Amino acid sequence: MLLQRHGRVLLLLVLVSACAQKLPIDEGRMVIALPGAPVNVDPRVATDAYGEQILQMTHASLVGRDDAGEPVPDLAQRWESPDPLTYLFHLRPGLRFHDGRPLTSADVRYTFTWILDSANRSPHRGVYRHVAAIETPDPRTVVFRLSEPFAPFLSTMVRGIVPAGSPARGYAPPVGAGPYKIDDVSPDGEAVLSAFDGYYGGPPAIRAVTVKFVPDSNVRFLELKMGSVNFALNGVDPDLLPAASLPRRLVVEEGPGGNVTYLGFNLRDRALSDARVRRAIALAIDRETIVRTIWKGRADLVSSILPPGSWAHDPALPVVPFDPARARRLLDEAGFPDPDGDGPLPRLRLTYKTSQNEVRRRVATVIQEQLRQVGIAVEIQSLEWGTFFSDIKMGNFQICSLTWVGIADPDIFHHAFHSRSAPPDGANRGGYSDAEVDRLTEAARREPSREKRRETYRRVQRILARDLPVFPLWAGRNLLVRDRRLAGFLLTPDESYAPVRAMRIVPDSATPSTGGPR
Amino acid sequence: MRRYLLGRLLRTIPVVFGVVTVVFLLIHLLPGDPVEIMLGESAVPAQKEELRRELRLDRPILSQYASFLAGIPRGDLGVSFRSREPVLGEIARRIPATVLLAATSITVAVFVALPLGVLAAMRRGKAADYLSGFAAMLSLSIPNFLLGPLLVLLFSVQLGLLPVSGYGAGRPLVLPAITLGTGMAALLTRMVRATLLEELRKEYVTAAIARGLPYRSAVARHALRNALVPVVTALGLSFGAVLAGSVITETIFSWPGIGRLLIQAIDARDYPLVQGCVLVIALSTVAVNLATDILCARLDPRIRYE
Repeated sequence: MLLQRHGRVLLLLVLVSACAQKLPIDEGRMVIALPGAPVNVDPRVATDAYGEQILQMTHASLVGRDDAGEPVPDLAQRWESPDPLTYLFHLRPGLRFHDGRPLTSADVRYTFTWILDSANRSPHRGVYRHVAAIETPDPRTVVFRLSEPFAPFLSTMVRGIVPAGSPARGYAPPVGAGPYKIDDVSPDGEAVLSAFDGYYGGPPAIRAVTVKFVPDSNVRFLELKMGSVNFALNGVDPDLLPAASLPRRLVVEEGPGGNVTYLGFNLRDRALSDARVRRAIALAIDRETIVRTIWKGRADLVSSILPPGSWAHDPALPVVPFDPARARRLLDEAGFPDPDGDGPLPRLRLTYKTSQNEVRRRVATVIQEQLRQVGIAVEIQSLEWGTFFSDIKMGNFQICSLTWVGIADPDIFHHAFHSRSAPPDGANRGGYSDAEVDRLTEAARREPSREKRRETYRRVQRILARDLPVFPLWAGRNLLVRDRRLAGFLLTPDESYAPVRAMRIVPDSATPSTGGPR
Repeated sequence: MRRYLLGRLLRTIPVVFGVVTVVFLLIHLLPGDPVEIMLGESAVPAQKEELRRELRLDRPILSQYASFLAGIPRGDLGVSFRSREPVLGEIARRIPATVLLAATSITVAVFVALPLGVLAAMRRGKAADYLSGFAAMLSLSIPNFLLGPLLVLLFSVQLGLLPVSGYGAGRPLVLPAITLGTGMAALLTRMVRATLLEELRKEYVTAAIARGLPYRSAVARHALRNALVPVVTALGLSFGAVLAGSVITETIFSWPGIGRLLIQAIDARDYPLVQGCVLVIALSTVAVNLATDILCARLDPRIRYE
């Protein structure tokens, strides 16, 4: 009887609480969960992904980027390059910052001059080292003069513009000219954004956006289930998403991703310097099984570190099949015969370094077992990120697992495979050296013609597919979990939050299909 | 009293000095270059060298250590590498959140542990005793990283009573405080029970009851007061454990406190921020232990300020 009475009280309490609680979306607020807090929200100095993702909603750039990484107009209505050393940008008329100030060419010059000033210690200074001068012939024209031809220049113009004279003030971000203005940012807490009515593309339909910084993936998922978060892009572990456990309020969308995971080989190592050994390792790995079991099918196999959606990607690249028999033959040829047939002795021993990320560790364990099947004994070393990455850059590894994130331009091949790009000058961590790749990547970054660049980069990709200095594994698919009333988001491979400006809240009955699986 | 306090304060100096020295050495020994982490891979070597000079990372480690120590008396803990904000300001911004969480969880622990421990001691060998023992063991066995999500599942997702995460002195505080305080409550419950049972066996309690004092009064007025001395000492000692536990709890509940800041600082190899956080944590632990000793002396007149 007593329990019955208390049970009723509890039920009443729950019902009252449920009735009283309005979800943010009921009040027209979109709540985005990010896995971490940005260090700062200033386009001149922000380097972390979370800062960049907020900036995509708040700070407009001269140019934007489409699905394939091609530059598209943003603040600049159009641009021209009369010669490989000169780029002219024509700003849209009537541009304004969030505080009402007009946005002119002087603000563009100020932003980039600030970054280039060594006193400001901007981490982006190196990106603009080819800029020799910035001229502003009139308030709507900016001219960039380069010291040498640099074909990826346009892709570097995706950088938020701030008003002239904006000081760098730690947590207080400078105003921008994007579709949302920042009302408040609390370190490690949340960023509160509101629609900017003066945005050149028209005010966004969703008037209020909160970006919550939620580091724990289980908690992010629970916030989604509760409705206190209603939008999470790649914020939920695929393991947590069996459809049955999701409330009807939520929908899941998938799209191709642009982050390519690969195995890096240290070519200074005696065994791994032999391309046959590297190919044998690639042939011994059953990527399809790994994608099906660990990634739950939410990754696409790749043959290049350039994402398949990129304009320079070569769709005709040969795919490395799963062929352990051929792997064993290649190891025999390379001088690593099986010492004892079916016995326990391996052909060779290798160390595989990875971070402490749970998915990566599971992948490493499966690869360890698959390589054991062809006679390669692998010792896995799972290290804290700072230690791991420091080891990789110092060349202190044999095999490592890494992911290229946010590749915007195929010039990445110069950065990652040119013989002069060894750390600290670049990311050729495995010590790969090929005269043809050097020549082609140098030529491509000077070549103004997009078609010629595409052809050159395809040749580079074919050489890399032959030599396998790294073994590209897969590109994780982008996974969006959102409230079904949030419509109009276009899922792009680079996980951009810029399409938030086109979103709207629709009645539940509409159950719209927005970007959708592609 | 004043002499005692001064003596205790002087004795804390080598402790704090030792802690900051060990942390300074450890963080500098860790692989990972803060300049590389800050500038990323697009930076040119000259730019990295420039920044290294500016952050004074090009100087010998002893010289860096001396600068760090010299800044402490002036309250200058340096500037955070990652945010470019003064370290003291960074920490000051997070301290209220951690103090609120730690104080609430300790309060929760004390308010749960005292009645449960007393009940278990007074009903020794009965159902209440076994039940409280079982609950304490269970609470001690569940780590924070599991208890937190379980509480969220029950109170937020199933019952919809409390928010999953967030910061505030009201509803957002409840689940983090329970998560952080549960282990300590369990420990204190067992301690209160054990020390109270020991006191109850002493002759002065028997004498008090023999003189006609009701059993409950003998427990509440005499035995409990004496039993609390070791409990208060344990409470002070477990303050360090609360701060350590807050690192995980703050991450689970997106609580913007010093524990989460410390993790971010270590990830970024932000040396000044790591050193600053550890210094503040060490100082507060020492201060709480000092306060505990003074409280013990108040509770038990036999303890002298010597």
